[in-house]
Amino acid sequence: MKKEDFVNELADYCEFGKDGLSLNTPLKDIEGYDSLAVMSMIAFIDENFSQKFTALQIKDLSDFNSIIKLIGEEQFNND
Amino acid sequence: MINLKDKRILVTGASSGIGKSVAILASRLKAKLIIMGRNSERLNSTFESLEGTGHEQFICDVTDYIRIEEIIQSSVKANGPISGFVHSAGIEKTLPLKASKNQFFREVFDINVFSGFEISRIISNKGIFNSNGASYVFISSIKGKLGEPANIIYCSSKSALLSGVKAMALELAQKKIRCNCVLPGIVETEMVKSLFNSIPVDAKEKIIAKHPLGIGKPEDVASLIVFLLSDHARWITGSDYVIDGGYSAQ
Repeated sequence: MKKEDFVNELADYCEFGKDGLSLNTPLKDIEGYDSLAVMSMIAFIDENFSQKFTALQIKDLSDFNSIIKLIGEEQFNND
Repeated sequence: MINLKDKRILVTGASSGIGKSVAILASRLKAKLIIMGRNSERLNSTFESLEGTGHEQFICDVTDYIRIEEIIQSSVKANGPISGFVHSAGIEKTLPLKASKNQFFREVFDINVFSGFEISRIISNKGIFNSNGASYVFISSIKGKLGEPANIIYCSSKSALLSGVKAMALELAQKKIRCNCVLPGIVETEMVKSLFNSIPVDAKEKIIAKHPLGIGKPEDVASLIVFLLSDHARWITGSDYVIDGGYSAQ
């Protein structure tokens, strides 16, 4: 999966507002980013990457790049 | 003073949490325990904590009904009929609706609901339960009555126990078998630790704040369960008992 596709698919899954969304967008600034969205993110990552993270691991993530780093850069096929 | 002398009580999910506490407390009150769990090390730890003698432990999966039936039949044959059953085995799954696939409902319902009813069916056969009377107690949850976001699977499984147990209570009353549910709020168990790891910190803090008496300990719930197992509760069946530190009073 390309990183940009990841951002788009995750945003769709979590029903985030997608205006101006990029790899560097701070998560806390995203419309719709709340505790339920965090649980949706965990479920999305589990479904797509077979990796189970806890809310504690997710809570300190700053942007999509940091999510990608947590999942593992090798899982993505651009850059 | 509650006394469970001459009662043989089967407890599922006895490796930890409420199941472990109720097994230990029942043994102190002179009951003979048949404890079941999946984790051999932890189940053995419960077994070694039991007071008195004549207890049995079985490592097993509560959804392996053939093995469960064999265990129950051989135990009854060797040591006598069963007077109590506590279904404490349970799992939790915190997922938003969009991720709550049918497979996850099946996994949770298999353990939380179906295994409890299946074991009840097995024990309710003639010669297996104590004809002087028996008591079944199912660990539901306050979430069986009240909702929680991202908890549809768990809430619905615990709710299923409530209505199933009422129907069972009516059917089994003629056999002098009483059936009741307890509905704990958040209790300090391994399952809750895992839940708290899976949800955001603010969600965890909100849940704790909703318990005016703080979150409970397994022993708090065990006290109510042993009462329901005892003859002091001989006129109680088909009931739900909330024990939640005030969670649902708001």
